[in-house]
Amino acid sequence: MGRWFLIRLLWLLVTLLGVTFVTFFVLDCAPVDRAEIEVMKAGQSNSYVDVAHRNESIKKLRVHYGMDDPATGEPLPLWRRYSAWIGNALTLRLAGPGEDHAALWRRLAEALPVTMLLGGISLLLALLLGLPIGVWLGRRVGRNRERFWSAVMLCAIGIPEFLLATLLLLTFSVVWVQWFPAGSLRSIGSDQWTFLWQLLDFAWHLTLPILVMSIAPMVMVTRFVRDAVARASAAPFVTNLLALGVEPKTVSRRLLRHGAVPVATLAGGLLPMLVGGSIIVENLFSLDGLGHLAFLAVLGQDQAVVMALVLLTSTVTLVALLVSDLLHRLVDARVRLTD
Amino acid sequence: MSAVRTNTAGAITANTAPVLKPRKAARRKQSALLRWLPWTFVAITLIMGVFAPVIANDVPLVAKVDGSYSFPAFADLVGDAPPGPQDLSWKQWWSRLGGQDEDWAWMPLRPYGPLETDASLFYGEPSWAHPFGNDDTGRDVLARVVHGAGTAVSLGLPSVLLAAFLGTLLGAWAGLARGIVDVVVQRFIELFLCFPTLLFLLFASAFFGSSWLALVIVMVLRFWISFARIVRGEMLSLRERDFVLVARGLGISTWRILVGHLMPQVISAIGVTAAFCMASAIVAESTLSFLGVGPSAESSWGTMLRQGSEQAAIGAWHLWFFPAAAIITVVVSCHMLADRLRSQPVSQ
Repeated sequence: MGRWFLIRLLWLLVTLLGVTFVTFFVLDCAPVDRAEIEVMKAGQSNSYVDVAHRNESIKKLRVHYGMDDPATGEPLPLWRRYSAWIGNALTLRLAGPGEDHAALWRRLAEALPVTMLLGGISLLLALLLGLPIGVWLGRRVGRNRERFWSAVMLCAIGIPEFLLATLLLLTFSVVWVQWFPAGSLRSIGSDQWTFLWQLLDFAWHLTLPILVMSIAPMVMVTRFVRDAVARASAAPFVTNLLALGVEPKTVSRRLLRHGAVPVATLAGGLLPMLVGGSIIVENLFSLDGLGHLAFLAVLGQDQAVVMALVLLTSTVTLVALLVSDLLHRLVDARVRLTD
Repeated sequence: MSAVRTNTAGAITANTAPVLKPRKAARRKQSALLRWLPWTFVAITLIMGVFAPVIANDVPLVAKVDGSYSFPAFADLVGDAPPGPQDLSWKQWWSRLGGQDEDWAWMPLRPYGPLETDASLFYGEPSWAHPFGNDDTGRDVLARVVHGAGTAVSLGLPSVLLAAFLGTLLGAWAGLARGIVDVVVQRFIELFLCFPTLLFLLFASAFFGSSWLALVIVMVLRFWISFARIVRGEMLSLRERDFVLVARGLGISTWRILVGHLMPQVISAIGVTAAFCMASAIVAESTLSFLGVGPSAESSWGTMLRQGSEQAAIGAWHLWFFPAAAIITVVVSCHMLADRLRSQPVSQ
């Protein structure tokens, strides 16, 4: 067990290095030069006298950003810049060379709770609704009712998140009826209300975003559980229990465990999905979370923030994957026997 | 229960789909309409996407000008259409043609271009001449939907084909060779699995100036793992089967066994994965366009939806309804095709 865990931890680190390196490499291939962008911005205010002056500033900025070697003035090779980035990341200086690290951390700290709230509630809803519905469907595979609800779920994931969000916004908060707010997390002036009213106000603002974000993970969990339960239903012990006169309801409860255990392995697929969902939802409902931060960073071509966000999301995904595998091993003895 | 299950075609499918009793399996048979409808929608989208300039355009397919023939719409298909005759646009020239002239032209099925504006038809409601209506500058919405399929397919089709080729090759190699190759391929699969796809697509689009190539590369990096996982799993079980042993015993080369004996067994699984990836590609393209960083700002379902939803408050429902309907129809059809292969556990 300990050895397995150590090997997995090592792979986690190697994978993390791989992910960040691929991202760094792709960003490096992009025809975006931060020094030139900065100089162009300054150039609009006519602070450069001539071309030579401008080129000198670009040169200085390139050294400042760690793109050129300060001693020779030659561009640094990729591996040296990447190792410099790793060194900075290990000491939690993620904001790019010569920038305000504390400011970036403040922005992240402000954005993280919003995204965690959205993602957490969506994940919880997906599990709480997906498990029982999946067991219910799994007991009825092949019947008309199961086929009907499976088709409904198929249509539900066929509607992309941005489309669903747009349609809901148009229907419930802009054109048809104005039941829900079109954005932000709380009403103006709500800080003077009582706690209960504030909470209700908060839930009212979160309804549409959570609805959009939780449908895709819920369908994924439901289908996964349905298939696991359908497989387990064919096992001899189910026939045995039914023959002994155990109520179908009790049998379903026993099968819940068969459906719930493999859901742990879903974490690897669900988290990237939630990251994608949060980008869309936060932009459409104007919430200031990580997804919105990511979108702004991408539009502003801010390489350092993109790297920081990729590092953050892939670390969370990989750790979740590791924890779920660990739980899976602890709960299900059959997994331990396979290796 | 056995580890593998044989379906009617004799192909092996992974034991992830629920095992059905024969009586229930028979009942699961769908009606012919439901079985063919998704195929029809996907085929229509692909044809519309690939041949958009020949289906909806404001230049003629064939035109006879001063005794010589030209094919402007087909030129538009591969590059740019030539300018119209007599210093007019093709459309103006065509509308001035008389019955007794020597010159004639054959217009496409939908004789409106995606960018052709008409001042008399601002916010035109759907009518017989314009079934999907006209937008805020009088452009024909139907023509734009057809060309939107073009944008989606031009991005989706190459990336799915490339990913299918790459993923099948690597998956088959990993499944058949096993050992170190298998370990390396599996690690790569895990690596690409934890990339947040939308974030990656977003920054590829923004940093490379919405370049088509960058988006295709990112999509291929994301999609090949789906093919590799399926093909690897199938190969692992297929390689132990008797017909492979017999082929090997007869001295047939590994390459011929792979192409002639194993590929036909996995081709349906590859097709289904391709349908699923096509749906993801179409969703990705329209999401990027909706957020304003897509590959083409001209006519894309995502762009149309964004513009339409901004104008929904003034009652122009047809501006958002038709692109939304197009996206949902195609994506649900792709998912219906892909539904035959149930989702597989991520790591086991």
